[in-house]
Amino acid sequence: MSHDTHDTHHVNYLSIFFVLCGCTALSVVFDVLPLSRLATIVLVFAVAVAKALCVMMFFMHLKFEGNWKYVLLAPTTILAIGLPLALMPDVGVPYYTSTAPQRGQWGEEFAAWHNEHQHAEGAAAHTELPGAPENAESSTEKAADH
Amino acid sequence: MSHTAQPSALKMGIPIPNSKLGMWLFLGTEIMFFTAFIGAYIVLRLGSPGWPGDPADTHINVLLGGINTFVLIVSSYCVVVAHEAMALRRFGRARTFLKVTLALAFVFLGIKSVEYYGKFAHDILPGHIPETPTQAIHKADRELEAVVRKRFAEYVSSGAVVTAQPNDIKTLATQIEAVADGGADGADKDAVESMKASVAGDIKLYRAYMNLHDHMVANISLKHPASGQEYTDARAAMKEGESFPPLTLAEVKTELNVLKADGEFGAAVSKGVFEPHPILFGNLFASTYFLMTGFHAIHVIVGMILFAAAIRQGSNLNEKWTDWVENSGLYWHFVDLVWIFLFPMLYIMNF
Repeated sequence: MSHDTHDTHHVNYLSIFFVLCGCTALSVVFDVLPLSRLATIVLVFAVAVAKALCVMMFFMHLKFEGNWKYVLLAPTTILAIGLPLALMPDVGVPYYTSTAPQRGQWGEEFAAWHNEHQHAEGAAAHTELPGAPENAESSTEKAADH
Repeated sequence: MSHTAQPSALKMGIPIPNSKLGMWLFLGTEIMFFTAFIGAYIVLRLGSPGWPGDPADTHINVLLGGINTFVLIVSSYCVVVAHEAMALRRFGRARTFLKVTLALAFVFLGIKSVEYYGKFAHDILPGHIPETPTQAIHKADRELEAVVRKRFAEYVSSGAVVTAQPNDIKTLATQIEAVADGGADGADKDAVESMKASVAGDIKLYRAYMNLHDHMVANISLKHPASGQEYTDARAAMKEGESFPPLTLAEVKTELNVLKADGEFGAAVSKGVFEPHPILFGNLFASTYFLMTGFHAIHVIVGMILFAAAIRQGSNLNEKWTDWVENSGLYWHFVDLVWIFLFPMLYIMNF
């Protein structure tokens, strides 16, 4: 029970380090690949969880600790997850149509701005706004999803 | 009373040092602390119809974020090697790796400050971001007004203009125009002489601002008059049901670029007026971004203090510090852990 944990476990920390580097590269690859939005989110989060587990198990030695780790970490983890879950139904996935003022105004002004953008395609002053129409469109899609 | 050591029948508590138990309890509260921020971000992002994802809007740099991820992973590895060296009583090696960790923490904060600078330079700050083209026009108008007021204030503070109402910009403009002709009675003659040269430029800027402001208030395109007799005449010449075209953001941008290029006040306008750029839900993005990365950066600084304390022992670093290095290592891995989740959420999922 009272054995010294310092010397008994030999982890090849360097290999864990390379796994972590590989996982980081992998999450960038998933971002670049032409996957659906949901697939990207799931894959990137899965990689993040794998990295987190590597760090916790080997760098933080949780793999070699006694059962006290569950007593200590389970309640806080449950409480931590509870907060976003509690907020999700109303704030995260609202049952009502958003009436945020900036959204309404954007809708009204967007058409005008889009036209302007089209007309002045060659003008240097407009080149810094390439993402704007796409953004507004994707947000419209998102609103429709809800 | 004898104090002979009694062999305890039962070892109470958890078989780890108290300091390590304390650190793990603290990390338990930290899990809840950061999950509150991360959870709030996820919930708000999902709940917002629209989110700034384009790097041209957010000035998020995936490469810098990726390098910072790598830096933290390397530093985490160094801490774990330092702790291993402490346990093996190789204190010199431990100190070297702690120094590398500390240096990497500086690199992380350096890259972070480059990113923060990009946000500040474009005024991507909570509550500063216009979310629609109209708001962008209003913001540019306010900023231009501030530039004019700042330049006008110099006449009052130098004594070239004496006024009881320094905030009355219109009256001030008339008084400043008089400075060019020698100033009013009671004005400081030396100040009048020194300020004389800038009057024409400042009045020109003031008129440009008032012109833009009038067009903004009336929401009339800059191609048409928005005030004075010209406006009345143009309005009278209109047919029933006709109206002036509205002021557009592109027009305002062009006008601002003209003002910024001016030889007399161009530098002041460039400094005081940001490029108008509406970002839908940009304020919510900036709030959550700075909340998460800011608190993470504070944790990095605290970790640096913990490492510095061990490094400061120099060659006196001994086995008494093993628990210290282990606990600060645990803390540092947690800081790395938080970044492992922040990186994909802030840098990768930009859509």
